[in-house]
Amino acid sequence: MNDSIPQAGPETVGNVRVPEPVFSCTDVNVHYGDKHAIKNVNIDIARQEVLAMIGPSGCGKSTFLRCLNRMNDTIPSARVTGRIALDGNDIHDKRQDVVQLRARVGMVFQKPNPFPKSIYENVAYGPRIHGLAADRAELDDIVGSSLRRAGLWDEVKDRLNQPGTSLSGGQQQRLCIARTIAVNPEVILMDEPCSALDPIATAKIEDLIDELRESYAICIVTHSMQQAARVSQRTAYFHLGDLVEVGETNKIFTNPRAKLTEDYITGRFG
Amino acid sequence: MSNTSNGASAYQPPPADVTRAKVSAGLARRYRAEARFRALGLSATLLGILFVIFLFGSVIWRGYSIFGQHQVRLDVFFDPEVIDPSGTHSREALLAADYQALVRAALKSRFTEVEGRRQVRDLTALVSTGAAADVQDAVLADPSLIGQRRSMWVLTSSNVDWLLKGKVARSAPENERRISDEQLGWLDALIKDGRIEQRFNWTFFRHGDSRDPELAGVGGALAGSLLTLFVTLLLSFPVGVAAAIYLEEFARQNRITDLIEVNINNLAAVPSIVFGLLGLSMFIGFFGMPRSAPLVGGVVLTLLTLPTIIIASRAALKAVPPSIREAALGMGASRVQTVAHHVLPLAMPGMLTGAIIGMARALGESAPLLMIGMVAFIVDIPQGLTDPSTVLPVQVFLWSDSPERAFVERTSGAIIVLLLFLILMNATAVVLRNRFEKRW
Repeated sequence: MNDSIPQAGPETVGNVRVPEPVFSCTDVNVHYGDKHAIKNVNIDIARQEVLAMIGPSGCGKSTFLRCLNRMNDTIPSARVTGRIALDGNDIHDKRQDVVQLRARVGMVFQKPNPFPKSIYENVAYGPRIHGLAADRAELDDIVGSSLRRAGLWDEVKDRLNQPGTSLSGGQQQRLCIARTIAVNPEVILMDEPCSALDPIATAKIEDLIDELRESYAICIVTHSMQQAARVSQRTAYFHLGDLVEVGETNKIFTNPRAKLTEDYITGRFG
Repeated sequence: MSNTSNGASAYQPPPADVTRAKVSAGLARRYRAEARFRALGLSATLLGILFVIFLFGSVIWRGYSIFGQHQVRLDVFFDPEVIDPSGTHSREALLAADYQALVRAALKSRFTEVEGRRQVRDLTALVSTGAAADVQDAVLADPSLIGQRRSMWVLTSSNVDWLLKGKVARSAPENERRISDEQLGWLDALIKDGRIEQRFNWTFFRHGDSRDPELAGVGGALAGSLLTLFVTLLLSFPVGVAAAIYLEEFARQNRITDLIEVNINNLAAVPSIVFGLLGLSMFIGFFGMPRSAPLVGGVVLTLLTLPTIIIASRAALKAVPPSIREAALGMGASRVQTVAHHVLPLAMPGMLTGAIIGMARALGESAPLLMIGMVAFIVDIPQGLTDPSTVLPVQVFLWSDSPERAFVERTSGAIIVLLLFLILMNATAVVLRNRFEKRW
């Protein structure tokens, strides 16, 4: 059902649907009190793919990202409607446990936010609360492999007992990624993961995202169009709560079909 | 970029030197205002420090002498005829004996010239009435003393202590110094013998209240205060922290929680005597709890400290960055796990600080305890939560009202003990905050 519905939303340009999506969102609306933050968004997220969400500040891309693991539940005034299906099951279904959902859909935040605990404890926390490791040795294995996959092992292997907050910003963000993949999620949501980092740390995270794509669906919100172009396969352009255009990244940046997208990526506003 | 033309005013910026001149013209005034403000702030601070120095100075000046007390060495003959004429050494006989007679005899053996009831009475008045009790304690502890002669240090009377500490001049008229010239002569003889010494005043810390100033101590009030605070801490900390966590982390923000918040703040401002009245009618009148007991005192002070602890704990919880909660929730931690594993450890130093400050306030509180009968004259040191007792500030209140001059010293001494505890608690709060506060 990919090309049969070229334009599911009233305004969205491009292919919003993909074959066998991990997430399939239909008519998603978000209200913060009186504010209509997300308007009738329809989009699929494919497996083993990085989807970048771009758009000017306040366009709702972070809000939409937070719908996917129901982080908006923590905001009392937020109201989410529409169907968001993870592997075909609605995440708002009564039978869907939010703890289970967040174990399957990990999240990396804008500002690195390691727990004020040791590096080891940061990574071990998820497996521990979800009971993923049978014993200490297995937990050690999970922590080690997660840190290795996050490209942090060589830098921290001698100081696993030091606080996670003692690391540099880029290392902290990779620690947060290690912490997320330690739970072995299916999807990783990243909310501007590099906005607080310098270019070298950013490059490391981008390389990491590229590697992680082999195993996970990744959905990244970014303010940097260069970053979207570098790391993503598909790009979604949000504007004032509308999903304006979705398409393959190289096509969006070279040949945008919507006028708004073109204005944004050529720097007319934003 | 070219929309300056539709600006309505024709404002032209003046030349740079004009702007500079305008700024310089105002500079002197600005600096004057700053100097004025700093001088005001500094003098306010100095005034505050001055008051503190005055307060501590006057209390310490009046009370420091309490740590020493004059004692007299008596050669007591444990006369079997007086103590235990029947020779059974039974406990009843030992308890009933006239130990005052032994003290009297010991004094008379030194001053053989003393004759007649009046002189004997005046002579024994040099020694505290507690001396007989000391002799009795010695006998009860070791009945084999009976028939022997022992040297014992016993307390002098408060009038003697007062004179020897120089609180009243030797040259003062007899009725003012409350020691007759004759007594003064005996006293000088004892001093010459080396039988009078100033020793550390353990009595003040070990004894409960007494009508005799030299026998009165803060021991009972101190035990009462600690027992009361124990109850207060046990009740108010868990309840306060749980309420704060619920309100801050779980409750929906709506009109009801707003109302609760406003009322908690109101509760913190309620005069403490009102809590005392509430305790009297509720805990004693309705629930039938014992009067004058640390248990009731602790419950009443719990009402008093709860708002403080809730407010401080909520502030501590608010200070935990939301990113920590998001991180934990994003990992799939439940809300309880998020609070228990991440938020609470970070908020704990702040909560403990709040609790200690609340406890310090409870320690210094007297008004509500007056209402529930913790103002009684209590000689025995309370052993449990339901024993009648009093607390330090109430003890201060009671002594400050006493006519005997030696109670002035005791009042200040009790204040010193109270202040020491307050300083200790506040220092603990500072240390806790510095040591366990995590940076993120």
